[in-house]
Amino acid sequence: MAKPVVIVVGADKGGVGKTTVSRTLLDYFSANNVPTRAFDTESPRGTLKRFHPEITEIVDMTTTSDQMKIFDTLNAASPSVTVIDVRAGLLSPALASLRDIGFLDAARSGQITFAVFHILGPSIASLDEIAETANFMQGAKYFLVKNFINDTQFFQWDQATYNSYFHRIKDATELTIPKLNEMAYEQVEVASVPFLKFVANKGTADDAANYSFVLRGYVRHWLANVWSEFDRIKLTDLVGVNKANIRSGEK
Amino acid sequence: MSHTPVYIICSPRPLVGKTLVARLLSEFLLLKDGTVTAFDINLKEPSLLDYLPRLTETADVDNTFGKMQLMDRVIVNDGVAKVIDLGFHAFDEFFKMCDEIGFMKEAARRRVAPIILFMADTDRVSARGHDTLLQQIPASALVTVDNEYVLRGELPVAFSHGRLLRVAALPAFLKTYIDRLTFSFTNYLRNEKDASTELNQWIRRNYLSFRELELNLILQR
Repeated sequence: MAKPVVIVVGADKGGVGKTTVSRTLLDYFSANNVPTRAFDTESPRGTLKRFHPEITEIVDMTTTSDQMKIFDTLNAASPSVTVIDVRAGLLSPALASLRDIGFLDAARSGQITFAVFHILGPSIASLDEIAETANFMQGAKYFLVKNFINDTQFFQWDQATYNSYFHRIKDATELTIPKLNEMAYEQVEVASVPFLKFVANKGTADDAANYSFVLRGYVRHWLANVWSEFDRIKLTDLVGVNKANIRSGEK
Repeated sequence: MSHTPVYIICSPRPLVGKTLVARLLSEFLLLKDGTVTAFDINLKEPSLLDYLPRLTETADVDNTFGKMQLMDRVIVNDGVAKVIDLGFHAFDEFFKMCDEIGFMKEAARRRVAPIILFMADTDRVSARGHDTLLQQIPASALVTVDNEYVLRGELPVAFSHGRLLRVAALPAFLKTYIDRLTFSFTNYLRNEKDASTELNQWIRRNYLSFRELELNLILQR
């Protein structure tokens, strides 16, 4: 039986694109034929659930019953990959909870593949989270995601500052999410469909839609760039899938 | 259903004859098909809108909304030929967008046939612009326009490999005559009884070149 994979997407800061990155991950796995389930911790609303309702469940990670719902079903659930979109401000408490329930130990001993996508915002406060989060990262794959939601440089113009944050943790892998055209982003928001469906000009029920060709083009171009980053970090290898699988959504 | 042609007349340089070719082509298509839609993205130069206000819409590629308004119309296979007079200032942004949104691929899928008419010039900016197009556009869809009035018979070697469309130079007095905003090439052909005049022959030669260009494209498919 395949080893369960848990991917946590989070940040302690809001508005840095956690759900956007989670959505690209779900699209990526879907295109690579990787069965995936997702948990949205933005209880009770749930933005992720709005885009991927079939595979997403809204949970409150601070409650024991919902923690059981996620982690006690890791081996039983048929999808081998679980993506958890952690609400703003909950990343560190969530990781602390995972440590407390012995999940991090299980990851360290190799029973579970555990990865954290830490989405960074363009502020020093956001970068300060790296050190805090890094304390939990033994045994986990740690990805520092630079999400270019605006024209930020992530202090790359100041090498001393940049190095003090990004080179502090040896085993962290940097990942870049390029900026998506604002109107294209808004149109996908309005459509409330996964990026893949938007590109394919489909509505929520797979019905034919009439999205702008220009905006679909921008989303396709952007998604291809994001996925090339996922390819670069060998995400499919991480979740134990043969890369020879046909990527169904990349037509 | 046959392909809908989209002619994009472009150059990264000003004053190389883009609007003249766009006018000629629009009038030719109107004469041949009875309908044509022209888009003017050339508001900083002599403008197609001034010459053919009934056929021409203005368009903008400076912002996403403008791009949507233009490209979502252009990508439709509705049987109405489109002519885009692309200003030099919009050259880079337009083709960058085309590359990003996969315009050529989507056009092929929707049976829309883009034909890029690149106005050649002897400078480095034109050479670089042409190189950019060579990387993006299939050779069959890229046509270099050799405007004798601009090049004076000195077409750079780099441009001479692909398909060529030649536009002969007119004497200065005829150039001034056709530059009047009220002048119409087709009306001139209809009203001028003497078919041997220089202007008459010039217009007919250009119309014939467009027809040959169109036939070549049909034969290629």
